Amino acid sequence: MLKHEYNPHSTSNDDVVTTRLDKLVNFFSNTGPAWARKNSLWPLPFATACCGIELMATGASRYDIGRFGAEAMRFSPRQSDLLICAGRVAIKMMPVLQRIYQQMTEPKWVISMGACASTGGVFDTYAVVQGVDQFLPVDVYVPGCPPRPETLIEGVMAIQRMLDSGELKNSAERGRGLRMVVEPLVQVAVPNSAAELR
Amino acid sequence: MADTVLESRPDLNLDVVRDEIGDVRTEEMLVNMGPQHPSTHGVLRIVLRTDGEMVLEAVPHIGYLHRCAEKIGENVAPYQYIPYTDRMDYLAGMNNNLAFSLAIEALTGLEVPKRAQVIRVIFAEMNRIASHLVSMGAYGLDMGAFTPFLYAFRERERILDLFEASCGARLTYSYITIGGVTDDVPERFIDVCREYLDYFEPKIAEYNNLLSFNHIFVKRTANVGIISAEKAINWGLSGPSLRGSGVKWDLRKVHPDCGYDEYDFDIPVGQGLKGQLGDCWDRYFVRIQEMQQSVRIVRQALDKLAGTPGEYKHKSGKSVKLPKDEIYYEIEGARGQLGFFIQGDGSQIPYRVKARGPSYCNLSITNEVVKDCLLADVPAIIGSIDVVMGEVDR
Amino acid sequence: MSLDWKQTDIVFVDQPALGAAERLYLPQIWGGMKTTLRHMFKKALRDRTVVQYPEQERPLRVEIYRGVHRLNRDEDGRVACVACFMCETACPAHCIHIEGAESPWADREKYPIKFDIDELRCIYCGMCEEACPVDAIELTPEFKLVGKSREEMIFDKEKLLMVYEQTKNLKPRKDPAITGYPETGHRDRVP
Repeated sequence: MLKHEYNPHSTSNDDVVTTRLDKLVNFFSNTGPAWARKNSLWPLPFATACCGIELMATGASRYDIGRFGAEAMRFSPRQSDLLICAGRVAIKMMPVLQRIYQQMTEPKWVISMGACASTGGVFDTYAVVQGVDQFLPVDVYVPGCPPRPETLIEGVMAIQRMLDSGELKNSAERGRGLRMVVEPLVQVAVPNSAAELR
Repeated sequence: MADTVLESRPDLNLDVVRDEIGDVRTEEMLVNMGPQHPSTHGVLRIVLRTDGEMVLEAVPHIGYLHRCAEKIGENVAPYQYIPYTDRMDYLAGMNNNLAFSLAIEALTGLEVPKRAQVIRVIFAEMNRIASHLVSMGAYGLDMGAFTPFLYAFRERERILDLFEASCGARLTYSYITIGGVTDDVPERFIDVCREYLDYFEPKIAEYNNLLSFNHIFVKRTANVGIISAEKAINWGLSGPSLRGSGVKWDLRKVHPDCGYDEYDFDIPVGQGLKGQLGDCWDRYFVRIQEMQQSVRIVRQALDKLAGTPGEYKHKSGKSVKLPKDEIYYEIEGARGQLGFFIQGDGSQIPYRVKARGPSYCNLSITNEVVKDCLLADVPAIIGSIDVVMGEVDR
Repeated sequence: MSLDWKQTDIVFVDQPALGAAERLYLPQIWGGMKTTLRHMFKKALRDRTVVQYPEQERPLRVEIYRGVHRLNRDEDGRVACVACFMCETACPAHCIHIEGAESPWADREKYPIKFDIDELRCIYCGMCEEACPVDAIELTPEFKLVGKSREEMIFDKEKLLMVYEQTKNLKPRKDPAITGYPETGHRDRVP
């Protein structure tokens, strides 16, 4: 029986076919503008509170985030590559958010939307996380309480610009793992063979 | 078990009912729904005990958005607490501001100018429309219809434009404050608002075409999640969820504040048009009809506003001293009876602030309704109760 | 299954009988699509609804919109703030940090040597603007602000004065003349 340590910082780079495809995309993005990636940022709307309503408004008819290729709001972390953390995050919610971040496939980026997600905002209390950047690597902060949809679009455009300039590497390359992990490291028993499993 | 026969339907026994819908008894399973789930409207987590497709029990878990909003109220002056009330029911910030302001005014005996009262009614009702629009759009999303969401937000944006011109923010207004409103309405507000109402009123028929009477939508919502009037009252429901069960109860009529008694409007209640009285469709349709009534109120209030010049704010609203007394004040918010309990101790800062969020009480019936429903009906029921988690957790 | 409920609580619901057209569902889909298509092919409706944001912008009511703060300069080009700490007290988010010092000018006692606003913590409620006795701190209609780090989003005095330079044409200062300090108890302005 091999003890496998569950490591939230690990990225599965070699065992999934899609990561090979990803290398192909990377090849093109290194030789030219990352147009494919930047124009298809699929956000995961982690909408907990007021900012979530403005996030909905950004996706709705007037502001139409689809003009930036980011209209495909995916509630499954496996399908999304931009985590928009909108709204206050309570201590009780933090493990959920972190698990969602871990489940997202590389490359992934994080927008911290609004005062509460960025710094805790007006709720400086025991229950509210004073900024999700203590637990997640945040790329772009969008101020406001809640930010206007225009400001959020500015945030998405900032991510696109960073991608364009090659400034923004994916979180594995830039070595910015999770600074703090809420849950304890779990020892998972992995069977060596199928026979052992039975 | 097999010989338990219901008196009302002696031809059926309970096990046969289960078999008739093609359900085979299986091992029970716990399904965790939320807290990050597209159709739980925020961060609600429901643990469902299921037997195949049937839900045997639904336990809502809350606290994922707790932020000590009530405790903060005991540390700041009332006028500073207004922004916190915005963030409770963030879909209807104006109504929350109004409830808290009215509570403080009733406690301190502050006189609100006539013009401020009319402005308050206009903004509370406009926000009710905006809130019901989101509710309708999100309910459509839950039921798999994306288009109504876009239409609802299109109309809502124009309401937000009006709010933004009046108070400078789109969602968290802090507009209605203690002793009145923070600022007078801008020039041409009455004309623009009337123009909007003329634009909006025909759209309600469009929503009905698009969603309300659409057979696919009706099939998913009618006869689902039935709450009888008796049960609704017993569980302390309020707002559209209560009126959807056919109970004619609205605080705007029962104890009118802000001069609601001077306006002419009806209280729409569920009638069981598409199915049993008190089902999800009734609760949904009450909101659509309420938008119509709100339009009526705003029209009258706009007429009134034109003929009510004067102050929009009481001068000493910011520096009120709370007497050694307590008060519980309720108004009809967008989701139901929104109440604030405030206890003063002679200083500027309240000794105790407690909010009664309608969503919290409405949510308590979840288990009662979701029990013995199909798993696919759970989003329909939760969406029809229309909870806002910011208000549940506080 | 437990039987502790009341018999009257149980409602038996019969499925309504469906006609052939209803069972097909296609007329219903068409009914919805009619509205959608009408909106889709009306260009005027489309244009009126969507704001092509970075290219187009919707006009704001600049006098009242609550965006990024600025620190006003008075007519002599000095910082208008008198370090009275009213805004810091009124702020519900406690995002303002002021350090005052003896003023080098004759007409006021103090001036801020440090004036930081955490734009990320701020909730843009406008209470600082309301509280300011000399209209030094104001909220501007500027909202296009995003940051890559928390440090750069803490606006210090220079940055806030810079915002004033950038927005003074868009939104002129409300009340340039400093007319006494009735609320803070400062002495009157020396003529």
